[in-house]
Amino acid sequence: MSFKCPVCKKEWNASLQVARHMFGTGDKPHKAWVDSQGLSFIDLMIEQATTPGNKSYVTLAEIIEKAQDKL
Amino acid sequence: MNKYAVINTHVHNVDGIAKVTGRATYTFDVKLPGMLYGKILRSPHPHAKILNIDASRALKLPGVIGVVTGKDTLGVKQGIWRRYKDLCDEQILPVDKVRYIGEPVAAVAAVTEEIAEQALDLIDVEYEVLPAVFEPLDAIKKDAPEIHEGFERNINVTRHIEWGDVETAFEEADYIREDWFKCGGQAHMCMETRAAVSSYTPEGKLTVYSSTQSPYYMQGLLAGVLGLKEGNIRVISHYVGGGFGGKFELDGAIFCSAVLSMKLFRPVKIVYTREEDFIATKRRTPMYYYVRTGVKKDGTFCAREAKVFTNGGAYTGMGATALYLTGFFHSFPYRWRGYRYDGYRVYTNTLPSTSMRGFGAPQAMFCSEQQIEWIAADLGLDPIEMRRKNGHYPGYEVPGQATIASCGLDQCFDEIQKWIKGKGKLPEGRAIGISACGFMSGGIFNWFDTPYSFSSAVVTINQDGTVELYVGAQEIGQGSNTTMAIICAETLGVKVEDIKVHSGDTDHCPADLGAWGSRQTLMAGNAVKMAAEDAKKQLLEFAQAKMGINIVYDLDIKNRWVHIVARPERGMDYFELVKEALRGKDGQRIVGRGYYTPHRKGMISPAYSYMLQGVEVEIDRETGKIKLIDSLTAHDCGQPINHLGLIGQLEGAFSMAAGYGYLEYMPYEDGKLMNPNLVDYKVIRATEMPEAAVAEIDTYEPEGPYGAKEAGEGLTNPTAAAIGNAIFHALGLQMKECPIRPEMILKALKEKEEKEKEGK
Amino acid sequence: MEKKLLRLTVNGQEYEIYINPKTLLVEVIRDYLGFTGTKRGCDTVSCGACTVIINGMSVKSCSVLAMQAEGAKITTVEGLEDKGKLHPIQKAFLDHGAYQCGFCAPGMLMSAKALLDENPNPTTWEIREGIEGNICRCTGYNSIVRAVEAVAKGNYREEHHE
Repeated sequence: MSFKCPVCKKEWNASLQVARHMFGTGDKPHKAWVDSQGLSFIDLMIEQATTPGNKSYVTLAEIIEKAQDKL
Repeated sequence: MNKYAVINTHVHNVDGIAKVTGRATYTFDVKLPGMLYGKILRSPHPHAKILNIDASRALKLPGVIGVVTGKDTLGVKQGIWRRYKDLCDEQILPVDKVRYIGEPVAAVAAVTEEIAEQALDLIDVEYEVLPAVFEPLDAIKKDAPEIHEGFERNINVTRHIEWGDVETAFEEADYIREDWFKCGGQAHMCMETRAAVSSYTPEGKLTVYSSTQSPYYMQGLLAGVLGLKEGNIRVISHYVGGGFGGKFELDGAIFCSAVLSMKLFRPVKIVYTREEDFIATKRRTPMYYYVRTGVKKDGTFCAREAKVFTNGGAYTGMGATALYLTGFFHSFPYRWRGYRYDGYRVYTNTLPSTSMRGFGAPQAMFCSEQQIEWIAADLGLDPIEMRRKNGHYPGYEVPGQATIASCGLDQCFDEIQKWIKGKGKLPEGRAIGISACGFMSGGIFNWFDTPYSFSSAVVTINQDGTVELYVGAQEIGQGSNTTMAIICAETLGVKVEDIKVHSGDTDHCPADLGAWGSRQTLMAGNAVKMAAEDAKKQLLEFAQAKMGINIVYDLDIKNRWVHIVARPERGMDYFELVKEALRGKDGQRIVGRGYYTPHRKGMISPAYSYMLQGVEVEIDRETGKIKLIDSLTAHDCGQPINHLGLIGQLEGAFSMAAGYGYLEYMPYEDGKLMNPNLVDYKVIRATEMPEAAVAEIDTYEPEGPYGAKEAGEGLTNPTAAAIGNAIFHALGLQMKECPIRPEMILKALKEKEEKEKEGK
Repeated sequence: MEKKLLRLTVNGQEYEIYINPKTLLVEVIRDYLGFTGTKRGCDTVSCGACTVIINGMSVKSCSVLAMQAEGAKITTVEGLEDKGKLHPIQKAFLDHGAYQCGFCAPGMLMSAKALLDENPNPTTWEIREGIEGNICRCTGYNSIVRAVEAVAKGNYREEHHE
């Protein structure tokens, strides 16, 4: 099972890894894609930093999984 | 028994005589004919638009030759992470706005330093003051002022490291603990402040004398900001009065002197005062750490989650690397089933933060090693044995990050255990604190986007057997020239005194990334070894022919004696061989070339050093004052190369790390540093420095020259944590902020007493 | 401001110069007389990089107006050596790696020499006190202490030097 980044098409084994890549890259195209999905990139990032656990990643990973069909 | 002729023997520093006789010429001492003196006008505001700069009054002052502002530059936003244009955000002489108190706004060149200083008061700058923000957690708020256009919530860069299933790993834990820490900044405080002399001439060539850790980086960065070809820029840096991570980026001294010289066609010298050095050169990154760790009741580490905000200050600098490394080394030197690090670097209107010896690891260890000590205490476990059962070992793979080759960590635990046992019962008020850590031997990353090998070397053999060794590796006091000479001498089979090291001049030396990230012994050392082997091989071709030995025999050179390895008594003199080789090559000198770039060595570094440090500390309950009594570091740096250099690096790193732990406080108020001088900013003095012995652990690092890996930066990592742990054992206090000052101890003691009273 | 005449002996040589009376001694040593071995590392008389010996005493030359040194006998790091023959304290520094970047070394050497001239048999603590005014950012001081101890012990005695 492999998941592609919706922006740069790089592949990973898990959707969580793609989510981490999108947060880590943080450039305009990646941010823009996340925001276009009805989420706020910056709010997700800040929540990740200020609360224990992995909620932001999981939220983004789910959206990435749903988007795989369209890629 | 030392199997080497030169390596790990007692060798004088090859620059020693120049340094102890006052002959060493630092950039601080450079004087060129027709030279002018430059001074920099600095912003008094932490955040403001530059509306207008009027230098007309200054230009009228007799002796003032010229003034430059951002408008005299190409306005290029530069940064050392050239591959990531977004992070190249600093103009040094800004065109539109200032972002921290002390940022350069204009620069003057005059015939004397005094006149240049007077001229600063005659430059009129019109600012529109903007609201400013000073702490990362304030800067990410929705209504915080935007410091850099396009960086939402002032988030400069984030880094995320994760392996394993963290949630499941936490569920497996019997005991979970979470703590918040605040790690302070630190000033590099090099004895030689930032200094540069730039000279631009009508041929279109720029020569820059600079106190730098990387002449090549200066050359490359200057080319970018000045619109010149690298080949038309010469950077000279023969003697450097300390770097410690603060001198491999472009700074105001280098940039402003170059811009002035290009305008005026005269050499311009800029030397920072100590105050300028404090307020306007980047500092160690202050960090806020949240750490949650889960372990089993037998002390097996299960999971760790760290969320970190770093105070990036006004520009990126090397802060993105510090952000990554702090998260990586926060896992060191232990195995975690699940590990997650989320790091956020936030812009604020304060002095930019960057690399400083240890590169994020001292902060990481201050948090990690103290929390681990508290967990051991909470569970009633022996702190050394608990660490030992979770430690790295040779061959361990940090998932997705690194494969550990050599690792002497286990032996380190043995040494410190022995030491602590030997101390017996300590007097009242004294305790020993320990801290483990590891560090990288240079990074694998090429964010500078260089097309060159990371390190290169050229060896040329003269007719009299003396050897010219050209390296790009930079001597900043750590002993690089000597280490390279030792490796060259050992490989070629001659003595250190036969080698003449050429470094610190981009006109004559090959490119090298420079002295940072503890990379030179491994990377430049490998390049030197390869070059010397190349030269030796060519030399031995002549010996093979002359001696006519059986094809099964090998030749080698040791102590200037060319000989059959199996029968060392049969051979010839090295000097004779050199003369014959020269004739055999039509009078051409033998030249050997070497280079090194790490390939497929994980995400961070080709090799890691390991250590465990114990520090004996005495705390006065009445005053809160800390006194360092003794220390021992069990240290694995692979094969030591430069014996005197290694001891010097250990003791020196300790003094700097101890300063980070309890002395070097940098208080800021509304973006202004409150103690920019050496009276109020405390660095350790000879009367405060304890014994800092080292117990060398013998390992062999396959990636390093002769098995060597880093020594010098890793040793800056453990001490703050070790001091904190000593305080914990002496007084039962958990100090979550560094540097740990007396008033903090007194306050914590009071709070502890009150809590105990309430408990009753 | 009117320039004043200053006469002083540096490293055994007499000098006569005209200077602005506000000039610091360290500026005369470095800029007027060209002895750039002596360094400056701060503006608050705190770091010791400018230490020289004046009439036998170690002094931070940034804390002294040049005019105050009128008629004085001054030794800087350049004066330790005798035509290529190193002073015992210099040899000890080399043997013990008692310097790294070397910027503090000239001042440190002068403090060490002044200490040993006054107290040829210092205890380890007295040595540390003797160099307390000199900051070294590189070495952590212990190698410097070892070097001074070695000289005090007499390891360099046959190379007797004034």
